[in-house]
Amino acid sequence: MLLRGLLGLVGFVALWSAAIPLFGVPDHVLPSPLEVVERLGFLYDHGNLLMHIEVTLIEIFWGFTIGLVLGVLFAVIFARVPFLERISTPLILLLQTAPKIAIAPLLLLWLGLGAAPKVVLVAIVTFFPVMTAMLTGIKYVNKSYIDLADVLKLNSWQRFLYIEFPSAIPTLFAGATVATTLAMTAAVIGELMGANKGIGFLLATGQEDADTATVIAMVILLSAIGWAFYALLDYLRVRMEDRYS
Amino acid sequence: MIKIKGVTKTFGVGADRVNALTPVDMHIEKGEFIAIVGPSGCGKSTLLRLIAGLEDVTDGSIDLGSKDKKRPVGFVFQDAVLLPWKTVAENIRFPLDTSAVPRSVSDAKVAELIALIGLTGFERALPKQLSGGMRQRAAIARALADDPPILLMDEPFSAVDLLTRETLNDELLKIWEQTGKTIVLVTHSVEEAAYLGTRVMVMSARPGRLRKTFKADIPQPRSEETKRDPRYLDLVSELRTMMREPVL
Repeated sequence: MLLRGLLGLVGFVALWSAAIPLFGVPDHVLPSPLEVVERLGFLYDHGNLLMHIEVTLIEIFWGFTIGLVLGVLFAVIFARVPFLERISTPLILLLQTAPKIAIAPLLLLWLGLGAAPKVVLVAIVTFFPVMTAMLTGIKYVNKSYIDLADVLKLNSWQRFLYIEFPSAIPTLFAGATVATTLAMTAAVIGELMGANKGIGFLLATGQEDADTATVIAMVILLSAIGWAFYALLDYLRVRMEDRYS
Repeated sequence: MIKIKGVTKTFGVGADRVNALTPVDMHIEKGEFIAIVGPSGCGKSTLLRLIAGLEDVTDGSIDLGSKDKKRPVGFVFQDAVLLPWKTVAENIRFPLDTSAVPRSVSDAKVAELIALIGLTGFERALPKQLSGGMRQRAAIARALADDPPILLMDEPFSAVDLLTRETLNDELLKIWEQTGKTIVLVTHSVEEAAYLGTRVMVMSARPGRLRKTFKADIPQPRSEETKRDPRYLDLVSELRTMMREPVL
C-alpha cells in the first residue's frame, strides 16, 4: 500500500522533471522538482520557514479544537432542547452557507491581521460538520438501547451520559475527519486575505513576486500537512468505531 | 402477581390502524414460569413489551403487584443489547451503577452473577469478543442484577445454535429454581415452551390473541429425561397441532 503510493509519487516527480526539457517549459511557469526542493531549503535557512509552519499549525489546532468543542456542546444542547435547535438552525445554516472567503475579510476587519481571525474562521468551518454528525449520532441511537434505557427507567441525564453520548462517538469522529480538510482550507484563506505570518502568507508573497517555485513549495507543504491531519483523525475514527460500535 | 385485564393494543390511526392484540386476560402467580408460543405477528412480543412498560396499553390494565419497586422487571432482549463499549462485568453492573448502588456491593453482586451464569474468566471481555450464547448469558445476568421479581424474555435463544440453546434452557431452569423468579418467556419453539413452562400460552395471529392456556403437568426438575416423558411429548404434540390448525 505504502510502497505503491510511493511508486506513484516517484513516477509523478519523474514525469514532472522530464516534461520541462521535453516541452521547453519556462522556469517561471513550471520550475523543476529540484528547484522547488531547493526553494524549501532556502526558506528553511533564510526565510524562517519553521516559524511560518508553526503559526499555521497553531491556528488550525486552536480553531479546530474550539470548533470541535462548540460543535459537540451545541449538538448536546440541541438534542436536549429541540426548541433551541429549531430557532437556531436557520441562523447556523446561514453562517454555514455563506462562502467562507466572504466572511474572511469581515473577520480580518474585526480582529486584525494576527491569528485570531484565522482561528475563528477555522472554528466556524469545523463547527458545522461536527455539530451535525454529533446530533445525528445522538438522534439515531440504536432503538434497542432506548428499550434498555426504558426498562432500566434511566433519567434523561443518565440516558445521555451512558447511552446517547458513547454511541454517538463514531459518528462524531466521522464528522471531525471531514472537518479536517475544511479547517486546512479556512486557515489558508484567512492567511491569504491578510497576514504577516503563516504558510498562506508565504504563498501570497510568492504570488506577488511571481515566484512559482515558492508557490508550488507551499502548495506541497499544505497538502502534506492536510494529509497528515486527515490521517490522524481517520486513525482515531477507526479506533473509536472499533471501541464504541 | 401479574394481573392482565382486558389488555388490547392497536398501532397506527385511521386507515392504518392495526390490531396487534385483542383483549387478553391472564393471571400469573408468583414463581410461575410462563412460556408464550405463537407464530410471527401473533402479538406475543407486543404482550411482553406491554408487561415491561415498553409500550402503553390501548385499553385494559396490567398490574405487576410491585408498585414500590423502581424496576419491577428484568428484560432479556432477543439480541442481547449489551453496550458494546462496556466490558461484560460493566454491562452486568449497569443496572446497579444507574441506581446509585455502592461499588463494593455491586462488585460482589456481579461476581456472584458471573459465577451463576458461567462467564467466569470473561469479566473483562467486550461483547463483540463473545459468542452469541455467551452474550445472551451476560444479558440474563444483567437482567438479574438488581434482583427484579419478574424476568421477561423475548425469544432469548432464537439466535443461538441448537446445542447451545438446550444448554441455556437447562441453565435458565436452574436459575429459576435457585432464584424463584416469575418468568415470562416468549418463543416460537413449541419444544422449548413445553420444556420450560409451568404453563404454556398459545397465541394466534391476525388478530393477535390468546387462544388457549395449557398446564404443563410435567415433573420438576426437568432434564434430558423430560424429553422422553410421554406427558412432555403429548404437550408438544398438542401445542403443535393447535399452532398448525387454521384459525376460524
